Amino acid sequence: MPATTTLRTRPRPARAPRPARRRTAESAGSPLLLGHGRLPRVLAGTALAVFALLWLTPFALALVTSLQSERDVASSGLNPLKGALTLESYRQIVERGNVPVWAVNSLLIATLVTVITVVISTLAAYAFSRGTFRGRRVLLAVTVASIMVPPQLLIVPLFQQMRAFNLVDTYWAVILPQVVAPMMVFILKRFFDAVPRELEEAARIDGASELRVFRSVVLPLSRPIVAAVSVFVFIGAWNNFLWPFIIINDSSLMTLPVGLATVRESYGIQYAQSMASALLAAAPLILVFLFFQRRIVKSVATTGLGGT
Amino acid sequence: MSTQASPETVAPRDGGDGGVPEPSPTAGRSGPRQRRSGGWFVLPFAVCFGLFMLWPVVHGIAMSFTDESLTLAGTSFVGFDNYVEAFGDAAVWNALGNTLFFTLITTVPLVLIALGMALLVHTGLAGQWLWRLAFFAPYLLPVAVVTLIWQWVYQPDLGLANQLLNALGFGPVGWLSDEAVAMWAIALLTVWWTVGFNFLLYLAALQSLPDTLYEAAALDGAGAWRRLWSITLPQLRRTTVLVGMLQVLASLKVFDQIYILTKGGPNDSTRPILEYIYDVGFTGYRLGYASAISYLFFALIIVVSIAQLRFFPRQEG
Amino acid sequence: MTGAHPRRHDRFTVDRRRFLRLSLTASGAALAPGLLTGCGAPAPGGDGVGLKIWDLFSGGDGLLMDEMMDTVRGGPDGFTLDRTILEWGPSYYTKLAMAAAGGRAPDVAVLHLSRMPGYAPGGLLDPFDLELLAEFGITREDFPPALWERAQWEGRLYAVPLDTHPFIVFYDLDVAERAGVLDGAGRLIQPGSPGAMLETSAALAEAHGGAGLLFGHVTDPAQNWRIFNALYAQTGAAFDLPESGPAIDTDAAVRVVSFLQELFDGRTNPNHLDYFGALASFTESRGAMIAVGEWELPTLRSTGIRLGAAPFVNVFGEPAVATDSHSYVLPRQERPDPARRREAHRYVAAMLRQSLTWAGAGHLPAYQPVLAEPGYAELDPQSSYTEAGDLAVLDPPAWFAGSGSLFQDRMSQAIQPALLGRASAEAAVDRMVRECADLLDQPNPVR
Repeated sequence: MPATTTLRTRPRPARAPRPARRRTAESAGSPLLLGHGRLPRVLAGTALAVFALLWLTPFALALVTSLQSERDVASSGLNPLKGALTLESYRQIVERGNVPVWAVNSLLIATLVTVITVVISTLAAYAFSRGTFRGRRVLLAVTVASIMVPPQLLIVPLFQQMRAFNLVDTYWAVILPQVVAPMMVFILKRFFDAVPRELEEAARIDGASELRVFRSVVLPLSRPIVAAVSVFVFIGAWNNFLWPFIIINDSSLMTLPVGLATVRESYGIQYAQSMASALLAAAPLILVFLFFQRRIVKSVATTGLGGT
Repeated sequence: MSTQASPETVAPRDGGDGGVPEPSPTAGRSGPRQRRSGGWFVLPFAVCFGLFMLWPVVHGIAMSFTDESLTLAGTSFVGFDNYVEAFGDAAVWNALGNTLFFTLITTVPLVLIALGMALLVHTGLAGQWLWRLAFFAPYLLPVAVVTLIWQWVYQPDLGLANQLLNALGFGPVGWLSDEAVAMWAIALLTVWWTVGFNFLLYLAALQSLPDTLYEAAALDGAGAWRRLWSITLPQLRRTTVLVGMLQVLASLKVFDQIYILTKGGPNDSTRPILEYIYDVGFTGYRLGYASAISYLFFALIIVVSIAQLRFFPRQEG
Repeated sequence: MTGAHPRRHDRFTVDRRRFLRLSLTASGAALAPGLLTGCGAPAPGGDGVGLKIWDLFSGGDGLLMDEMMDTVRGGPDGFTLDRTILEWGPSYYTKLAMAAAGGRAPDVAVLHLSRMPGYAPGGLLDPFDLELLAEFGITREDFPPALWERAQWEGRLYAVPLDTHPFIVFYDLDVAERAGVLDGAGRLIQPGSPGAMLETSAALAEAHGGAGLLFGHVTDPAQNWRIFNALYAQTGAAFDLPESGPAIDTDAAVRVVSFLQELFDGRTNPNHLDYFGALASFTESRGAMIAVGEWELPTLRSTGIRLGAAPFVNVFGEPAVATDSHSYVLPRQERPDPARRREAHRYVAAMLRQSLTWAGAGHLPAYQPVLAEPGYAELDPQSSYTEAGDLAVLDPPAWFAGSGSLFQDRMSQAIQPALLGRASAEAAVDRMVRECADLLDQPNPVR
């Protein structure tokens, strides 16, 4: 893909300053331009509403179920309005304490994975883009080729490796294998390739060290892409299941997806509690998205993944 | 990190990264400068990459020629036994078949529905934040949350799915217990769960289409449908190829939701190849054999990728 | 709904510990490097840190286990315990093996005795210290000899049995009385032959108006194997799995499967139920008798049906009952801490003394002194199948066999089509033998 795509993907100025929620049909700034008749707009709106309804139904079901008592759930099934609403399930989940512990583990692990991955990938990508070190081409080729290797295929040797390092059932064992993200290195390298070198050269002439050039000249330019990569890596680590599931057996070290899927929280099947823990586990990332969604969409564009 | 070494001292050291020192002209992109640089920058990544990517790949190949066990039993070299066994193992073929079937029935809707959603949202109708949230939010859910919710939807007696069928006058369906249905039920929740990512890629692509194309079309008096078919969709072609390829690779690696919901059942009808690797290697202790199956699967991924590259000729936009 | 009251005491300690852990972890986030180097080390020994216990008890079992753990938590010598409940089945056993292989396993775990051949020989378990056990008052004389024998590997004790839990029959006492299948003392008359068993179930069906014998097996990973294993042992034939290949008496096996086909004919006795379907049929009184594990006792008792129980039915002559045993094991640890190990032994001993509570779930205590306690004889209907413990047949000892194993699943899947009328008994037995041969063909990964 040509390097220019990454730069072209900034939103056109005409649209950028306008908050999305104020965009009404009258603005009609869309390239799809529904036309002036009412009918297409009504059709499109209906289709959207149907899709949204379908997509939100499971959430609604989870929410309603979680607010009922177990007894009402078991007796009323689909009828969400039967029985009084109660926060009992949430209270029990929090009181039992597993879900909060797993949430903290998830947060800690996903944050560390993100920080380490972004730091080493950005440095490496910059070196691949600008560097002249020995073996650069070979290492770059191997890195790009390894995008094809799904990490899921390495579970067996990685497990043995962690055993050899005596790291099974530790945070490090969860984190370390996740910090290798060749795809992210590749995305970042393409971005750096497209950044003009003149600024760096100027800084170098002023006697700045390589690290200083990187920190004060290159990094500020790369904020959007670094943000996008961080978002990708964080979501990936937050939701990663297979590897943490394999390497963590101790329930106090489990992440949310692993804990919810493996540890039995109660002695019977309790749907209200299941839904309450599901929603508690879902909340953090959804709230973050709610606040940052426009920026996240824009960030995705900068990676060139969505660019045309 | 704060002690950035001068390029001269860096050069001889980082030759180890790539093994063989290269002739310098290859570095000529950055102009006439011949000094070595960047070695320290790449070092942390290179170390991690070597430890947690290259080494497991190599070690895995070595393991696939042994009878290495999860237990403390001894290990011996067994040659190609594991590969021979894998080729004759009906469970391997069944799991590969399930994986390909899942890939087929998820990739098409995951691309088309994502495209449809992105086009609809891009019309600029009011309530943008709501649409985006509705379609993308499921992607943010950890898998165990998705399975908890859908386990409840698919619950045989009280679940939403069967209650709806009941209200419409149909009998109950064994969503996760009927061999003929289970994979479709899992595909359905997978579409719900992951379509948001593709949707976002499409949305980003749509937002980066240049207005000028449409302005020209508007001058020509082209209607909404015409513009969709003759401008928007062709412009999205490259995105579609990309989304499709990423989706195929993601679907081939399915494990999480199937393992949690059905453990591969009923009667192995939903077991994907990754779960078979897990079952053989960890549940059955046979890490050597599991490694061999991993590499057969890897070979399949390579073949599929090459086929895709041939099928969708790479377009430079 | 369940489990509010017995946990009150426990809740406080759990909460405080969880809270401490939570705040520790949270502050750790700020001081990540320090935490991360720290978390690699196993928890330090001493009394302050909870003993990590893994088990697989849900339902009524889980509640009783909680009650027992609460009891041993109390008192001046009370334990600090950190319990994790995982789901029974392959996932539990996989996790246990991986934790043991990884070297930071829980201090004590529950293991079905039938699984021991897959764990002890591969070094995934550490042996018990008999002297330590004796110090806490537990010796071999306290257990049935056969059970104790089965818990040994190469002369060392790797498991301490907590119970035996046979696969038995429960029945509606009122219906059974009307059907005339009880003796003068109100106990089930053992049929003793296939024909007599068919008559028994027909009489039950008639007296009830619904089904005679209920049995859930469709897509179940163990039920068909349990019923087959019991009946096959009753024929006196041996089911052996030496590495040279399966040694199975196929004639006897065909007789058993043919009998099952006759018994579950789909009219007198339904043949299409799954596990929970059969349970529901019994609790909703759509059948007179159910063949199921005794661990369903709490569920069945909650329905108000007057329950009778018998150690399975003797059909082929030799009394035999399919059984397993929940046992305590010490999963392998890379660096076991002697103080914690000692505490683990003390815990196992203390729990054995709680066996009377455990018997409340329907299980037969392995710790024999409990049987002499006055409370035990009063347990009804448990005392009516106590002898099942003596007739125990476990799985053949093979690394791949046992509770929640692939072996039980495959055997059950092989029998299922025969019961559903989609395959002949011969075909089912052929498939069983073939599956056994396939499993034996694999290189043995535990030695």
